[in-house]
Amino acid sequence: MPIAGPVEALLGVTLLGAFLVFLAPDEYAGKLATAVSLVPVAVSVWMYSVFDGAGNALLGGTLAFESDLGWVSLGRYDLAWQVGLDGISMPLLLLATVLTTLALVSSWTPIDERESQFYGLMLLMEASLIGVFTALDFFLWLVFWEAVLIPMYFLIGVWGGPRRKYAAIKFFVYTNVATLVMFVGFMALVFGLGDSISTFGMAEIAQALREGGNLSTLAGLAPADLRLVAFTLMFAGFAVKVPVFPVHTWLPDAHVEAPTPVSVMLAGVLLKMGTYALLRFNFTMLRETAEANAGIIVAFGVLSVIYGAMLALAQQDLKRIVAYSSISSMGYVILGLVAFTPHGFGGATFQMIAHGLISGLMFMTVGVIYNETHTRMVGDISGIADRMPWAVGIFVAAAFGYMGLPFMAGFAAEYLIFQGAFASTVIPAAPLVTAVGMFGIVVVAGYLLWAMQRTLFGEYSLATDYDVSRAPVHDVAPLVVLLALVIVLGVRPGLVYRMIQDAVNPLLHGGVVLW
Amino acid sequence: MAGAFDFVPAIAALPLLAFVIALFAGQYMPKRGAEAGIAATAGSLILSIWTALTVAGMTGSETFYNENLYTWVAGVADSAVTLRLGVLVDPLTALMLVIVSLIALLVHVFSLGYMNDEGETGLPRYYAGLGLFTASMLAFVFSNNILMAFMFFELVGLCSYLLIGFWFREDGPPSAAKKAFLVTRFGDYFFLIGVVGIFATFGTGLFAPVEAASGTMESFPHMAEMAIEESETFFGYGAQTWMTILGLLVLGGVVGKSAQFPLHTWLPDAMEGPTPVSALIHAATMVAAGVYLVARMYGFYALSPQALAVIALIGGFTALFAATMGVVKQELKQVLAYSTISQYGYMMLALGAGGYVAAVFHLTTHAIFKALLFLGAGSVIIAMHHNENMWDMGGLKDKMPVTYWTFLSGSLALAGIVPFAGFWSKDEVLFEALIHGVGTEGTLGAMFLLAYAMGLLAVFFTGFYTFRMVYLTFHGNARTDVARDPEPVRWNVKAPLAVLGIGAATVGLVNMAPVEKLTGLHIDFLHQWLDGPEEGGWPDALSTDLHHYEELLHNVPHVDPAYPIGGEQTTLIVSAALSLGLALGGVLLARSLYGVDEPVEHTDKLGGAKALLTHNYYQDESQVWLAQGVTVPLARAADKFDQGVVDGVVNGVSSVSLFTGSRFRRIQSGVVSNYAALMTLSLVLLLVAFVVLGGVA
Repeated sequence: MPIAGPVEALLGVTLLGAFLVFLAPDEYAGKLATAVSLVPVAVSVWMYSVFDGAGNALLGGTLAFESDLGWVSLGRYDLAWQVGLDGISMPLLLLATVLTTLALVSSWTPIDERESQFYGLMLLMEASLIGVFTALDFFLWLVFWEAVLIPMYFLIGVWGGPRRKYAAIKFFVYTNVATLVMFVGFMALVFGLGDSISTFGMAEIAQALREGGNLSTLAGLAPADLRLVAFTLMFAGFAVKVPVFPVHTWLPDAHVEAPTPVSVMLAGVLLKMGTYALLRFNFTMLRETAEANAGIIVAFGVLSVIYGAMLALAQQDLKRIVAYSSISSMGYVILGLVAFTPHGFGGATFQMIAHGLISGLMFMTVGVIYNETHTRMVGDISGIADRMPWAVGIFVAAAFGYMGLPFMAGFAAEYLIFQGAFASTVIPAAPLVTAVGMFGIVVVAGYLLWAMQRTLFGEYSLATDYDVSRAPVHDVAPLVVLLALVIVLGVRPGLVYRMIQDAVNPLLHGGVVLW
Repeated sequence: MAGAFDFVPAIAALPLLAFVIALFAGQYMPKRGAEAGIAATAGSLILSIWTALTVAGMTGSETFYNENLYTWVAGVADSAVTLRLGVLVDPLTALMLVIVSLIALLVHVFSLGYMNDEGETGLPRYYAGLGLFTASMLAFVFSNNILMAFMFFELVGLCSYLLIGFWFREDGPPSAAKKAFLVTRFGDYFFLIGVVGIFATFGTGLFAPVEAASGTMESFPHMAEMAIEESETFFGYGAQTWMTILGLLVLGGVVGKSAQFPLHTWLPDAMEGPTPVSALIHAATMVAAGVYLVARMYGFYALSPQALAVIALIGGFTALFAATMGVVKQELKQVLAYSTISQYGYMMLALGAGGYVAAVFHLTTHAIFKALLFLGAGSVIIAMHHNENMWDMGGLKDKMPVTYWTFLSGSLALAGIVPFAGFWSKDEVLFEALIHGVGTEGTLGAMFLLAYAMGLLAVFFTGFYTFRMVYLTFHGNARTDVARDPEPVRWNVKAPLAVLGIGAATVGLVNMAPVEKLTGLHIDFLHQWLDGPEEGGWPDALSTDLHHYEELLHNVPHVDPAYPIGGEQTTLIVSAALSLGLALGGVLLARSLYGVDEPVEHTDKLGGAKALLTHNYYQDESQVWLAQGVTVPLARAADKFDQGVVDGVVNGVSSVSLFTGSRFRRIQSGVVSNYAALMTLSLVLLLVAFVVLGGVA
């Protein structure tokens, strides 16, 4: 096996680019970083076009772009540099690289101090995200998982709004504590498995756990209890990242303080780390536990949908509205995952992509409006449609995308989730529970239509002292790209849904055990 | 050989193309995109007519078509449904395609006069909206499964939002647009649950069976029929109950889009949009979509007596309820808005009470005469310099004769005066409701009769408000300077009016069922159209024909006709005379009150009812209260709870730990590099601990 496969190339180029940008003068940093970030976009698009993975990475599937190198030995465990992609991680990798480039372009206008550091950190974060979605050894994965936090902390804490310190520390501590909780849960499983595993390969652990019977009693906990404890700890840990009610409160603070491009990354990609991990760990490794507790899990999902939407309804700050609506949208992912049906898993994974694009689009659009008006408060702006017609047009399109308009990606994702959840045999009273969760599609229309009516339409007025004019082309261009992607995926979900289905189906059938 | 059916997707694709052209190139075109829209809708009309002729068997090839054309989402696993887009063409589809593309074409032409000639700005956006609206509706019409229907149903909703809110610089239109989308979205929420439920139950959403290479793919109404026969259970419910639940869920979307009680409130507000848009919404697109959906899946509704009763009652009630509100309105378009709600009530009444042909007939005639009335109103509004208040008009009869005579034709049709189109269709609706009410046993029959009574009473109000409108607008003396010297309108306004005016007088000829029954002449063409040939042809292949529906109605909910007064002919004459008499009564009352030179308001005579009617029975207020008085405070409370309790706990935990851990101050430096170091350190410690422990275990 060659030492440097495409994944290593991706990581290497992005890291190298990050350091180059750190050293570059501020004037060129933005352009340089954007140019550098086009390489991972090109590489990941190429990887997508030649993608030949099959099945699920953890359940004996064939990995694409796999490398598995010995790394260090720790006690009797071998830690390995093990990376590769399956139909779940491939689309997420694409999402991360594409969204990073667009976020970098959207930074040109708002970021005007310490640019080289800003853009360097953004690339550093991209590298870590690439690692999160490709690593298949637990420790390797954990290193990337944690490494995402550090650039994020600085990006919020240095370039953020007035309360950036508070928001950054809250984000950092909250998610770190969550990681610790998750870590303890995972380690309990590793201890319980004892001799049945010899590496930290996620695939090996997943299959050991799914075969059942390998788990021994640990600290007085019978295997079944151990599973439950581990599941709970891991769920709690990942839930913070998603975020799921009631561990979501870091999110609005972080979003409101973060500069727009950082919000784009936060909502677009970072939240997906949580659902991705839930899918890989909780729902793949501990399937029986998840099924047995579906009633509780789905309650968290549906509660997040409705509660997040209600909170969004109460907000006056455009960014806060979008931030809370993310809680709502991610609640759908939980609903889909816990259904244990093909379209449930598939729709949930597709929703990660769809929401990544649409929330990125929403945040960027709000950012473009902010660039011109220097306010995000609903009551401060009115009737700007005349002054910035294209940006407003895209805002309207994005909002309808968020509301789940057919032929846009969000509808495909949500519909598949609903379809999967309705027919679930795992969720108690599945049709009813699904119907309750679906009410989110009404509330989302309520707050977005209201916000649009107040800010975009009516007579022009602005509370801040700025002259609103057409947004520059490089502000609008990323919006157009995102909107196009959202529509393409809405018309032809199969572009990614085919590989997603291929990777999630083994979750239901038990997968093929190759070793 | 390529036949008409190969081009059916183009019927929707052409206006879609016009949308793209108008949006991106409209500003460079002399008519700002209208050219593209007119060409596209004309093309759609030609293709639709070709399709209809093919369905009629006049081109010699197959007379029906049902194919899956595009796999939207392929379900890979066995248990995952595959979601497709496809085209279904049967006589109902063909009829509706012709109606929609005809109205859309006329509306485009009329818009040249109403929008271009009036110097409006933002026209590319306007024509793009019209194009997308038409495309969505046409695709909805030929959808061959319920998911595809839902998808285009939603796009129709989007277009109504864009067009109702066209004048976005004012306060009213954006608010009305929001309301239209939100209220219909509320209905669509139930519809979507229904769609998901239908797929989860049957694994398909096909309206009619498709012959595929792999064998016949059955339709869901057929599967439902079989399930009821075999008394299966679904999700813990008996087949009969479950079909009723699904049917009522889908009905939510119908009630929203077709503006039926209690989700009708968006429609009068939607008058904020440009008048040609109102014509399109009311006659052929959005509002018609709901009723069309019920007709499209009639084989499913015919299986559920409860659903039929609900449809009939909603219809009858809405017909009456909306008609009473139309009586007190001051503005021309407001009267028309309430008349639309009321007329769609009649269609629902007919569908519920087993009068499938009557409903489709009324849908057809209404499309013609309501488009006519709105365009006529648009002509008056141009003439009046965009003043819509009827009390500022008067005497326009002599100054705008084309508008007057065509408007009169539409009004006579709306009021249901013989021999105008509306008479024939409304009479058939009421007749069907009556005979099925009498013939059906038990509660269902009683419900039909109740709905019939409300529908019959509404005829009087319809005659009254329609002619109150006519007299106030066109008769008497001109009451303002503008009315004395109205702005003239051009050919692009008059031509569509003329086409529709003739239509409103004559479309009734397509189904003169009463004459047929009295004379024995076979002139009930629509009936024959929807019934199909006895042997072979589409009825056997698709089961979407009238004969099949009548069988279902007879076999499952036991809906049967009976003639209470003498035989069929006597009942027919009495029923027709009754509704015509009531309509004339309304017209004459309007004439005596308002058909004078200087009419005055008589609404005070209504006493306490006046306030109730002008406030629309406080329906709006109650819904606004639900939104602003209940939901918003609830959201605020949730926000308070979130900030105070949920986040409060988080902050509390952190401050407690800060307090108790104050001696660790030195490491709580807030510098992230320290945290990072600490994190790494703890990770290493954990690792070590784990190696040691792991080794022991």
